[in-house]
Amino acid sequence: MRKLDGNFVLLVTLIVVLLTIGGFLSGGTYLSLFNLQSMANQVPELGLLAIGVMLAMCAGNGGIDLSGIAMANMAGVASGLFALQFFPVDEAPVAFTITFILGCAVVGLIGGTLNGLIISRLGITPILCTLGTQMFFTGVTVVLSDGRAVRIGAPGPLYELGNGYVFGIPWSFMLFIVTATILGVVLRYTPYGVKLMMTGANQKAAKFSGFARARIVTVTYALSGLLAGLSGAIIAARNVNVKWDYGTTYLLIAILIAVMAGVKPDGGYGRVINVVLSAIILQLMSSLLNFIGLSNFVRDLAWGALLLFFLFVNRFALVEHFADLLSSRRSPHAPKP
Amino acid sequence: MKQGLKNTSLIVAAAVAAMGMVSTSALAQDGKSITTVVKISGIPWFDRMETGVKKFAEANPNMDITQVGPSTADSAQQLQIINDLVAKGTDALAVVPMDPAIIEGILKRAMDRGTIVVTHEADNQKNTMVDVEAFDNAFYGASMNERLAECMGGEGKWTTFVGSLGSRTHMQWVGAGEENAAKYPGMELVDPNNESFDDANLTYDKAKELLRKHPDLKGFQSSAGNDVLGIGRAIEEAGLAGKVCLVGTGLPNPSAAYLDSGAITAIGFWDPQKAGMAMNSVAKTLLAGGEIVDGMDLGVEGYEKVSVKPGPGDGLLVFGNGMVLADKDTYKDYLF
Repeated sequence: MRKLDGNFVLLVTLIVVLLTIGGFLSGGTYLSLFNLQSMANQVPELGLLAIGVMLAMCAGNGGIDLSGIAMANMAGVASGLFALQFFPVDEAPVAFTITFILGCAVVGLIGGTLNGLIISRLGITPILCTLGTQMFFTGVTVVLSDGRAVRIGAPGPLYELGNGYVFGIPWSFMLFIVTATILGVVLRYTPYGVKLMMTGANQKAAKFSGFARARIVTVTYALSGLLAGLSGAIIAARNVNVKWDYGTTYLLIAILIAVMAGVKPDGGYGRVINVVLSAIILQLMSSLLNFIGLSNFVRDLAWGALLLFFLFVNRFALVEHFADLLSSRRSPHAPKP
Repeated sequence: MKQGLKNTSLIVAAAVAAMGMVSTSALAQDGKSITTVVKISGIPWFDRMETGVKKFAEANPNMDITQVGPSTADSAQQLQIINDLVAKGTDALAVVPMDPAIIEGILKRAMDRGTIVVTHEADNQKNTMVDVEAFDNAFYGASMNERLAECMGGEGKWTTFVGSLGSRTHMQWVGAGEENAAKYPGMELVDPNNESFDDANLTYDKAKELLRKHPDLKGFQSSAGNDVLGIGRAIEEAGLAGKVCLVGTGLPNPSAAYLDSGAITAIGFWDPQKAGMAMNSVAKTLLAGGEIVDGMDLGVEGYEKVSVKPGPGDGLLVFGNGMVLADKDTYKDYLF
């Protein structure tokens, strides 16, 4: 049997606890369909960025992607301007939407590949490289848009993606779950996924085993960029407008989500499902605080406390210890393997 | 083990009960709720607005009236707060948008859901029922610039600061300022539209840079509430108080020292307290099913006889008469 994933258990428990507290405190409004949909609609843009951060962290060698939200905004603005040139929003909404979303993905891929190449070929520390590209991408976005918000308009399908529902579930949330599932499968069952984790866990061993380290790192950052691009498309779909300074606080929150999900900051371990759950928890907490009407400074405090708590719990594997303790109590004479 | 479990469950029960008490006291009132959402909380400008919101709450004890805002200047954070408030079922929202474009979508959904939406400092907001402005923005920008030109003697290099390039009112003020300055051929605009992000320290650094780059810089026109503090400090530290002119939006209390030393020539402002009350007053009227008409009295000083124009969307634009331009000699009348 596989070892118990303590982090997973903790995250699921937290979700249940938060939903219970929320429902109780708000007299049910918190659990109303409207609020659940509203919350589910807010998760994807941040969740995709957090998965990107996770990928970068898994690659090891101090891996991190600070350029996520900057890239998402750049993708939205660049692709938006491009698509607006070719397809008038009102006349060809479907062609516009497809071009726009593909454009976002392409811009994200290019930006991510740039990150990957700088890190793997030039051997520059990821935190410095992505800090640089973050400013660069922001700059490009400002220049492209003249610092103004770019109105993507509200063509049918795109607006539907950002605000519509399928069987009561927001489209954007479905897209998020599908993307996460694909990535989860890729990381777990393909040679690329296995090699990524091994490279992250031990650079030297990977090198001597003949892994194409540079290629793995490049692909990883490119994937992170692709996710940021998708996030940009969702932001545009949801808000109808894109702007260079949207979500400046997302950068740190995305890292918080990844760490809460038990992704090892030194590389080599991370599960997509945990990141998804962790993103949901952050949304639940954030909405809960807004529901209670607490000051938003309390929210910052809560995030900080949460981050430290999870670092502590994961560092000492507390949940696993506790589970071991429980099982050994239950069956004191269990034969040792 | 069992004992331990019992203890934990007791603690959990106590915690839940305690939180329940908090929530019942918050949700006890059965009157309508109006929530004011500001750009950023914890800065003097919106603290002053909160005093107005509190005053209005005291005058309407049967209603649930509060003010909230993000802790950092990020439109995404403000968007999230509005999202949650709409989901929570708040009856009326009075929003001071960080970025009107970003929140168009959620405001539309809010109105579709039957929420009353009132905005402030966003005369381009399409999805709003009423946008309340303290005064005509072009007039305000031109008046500030006229005061600056008077101080500069109508000639010399000058520059402008805005909160952010997306802050529409700020851009209108400096735009009107530039137009006004065109009357004076001797005035030369250099490096315009510096972004301050309403952060006094950042503004201080930028102003220092500008003073180094242009040693003959003679004037600043600034827009966001904290800009005058940053620029004023830079001017004072450079020993240029009284030599370089600075006219900008600011609050009397924080600016007092710089006004006295001459580092700030004059501050223009409208009282955010009154603006907050005016927004809530409009929201209350709309909640009661009333209409906003030209020349009506909102029951707030400076908004006794508002002018109403059609807005960019289906909503209305309401202008008050709340502009104040205060200098060294007059600021003491407005201490807040």
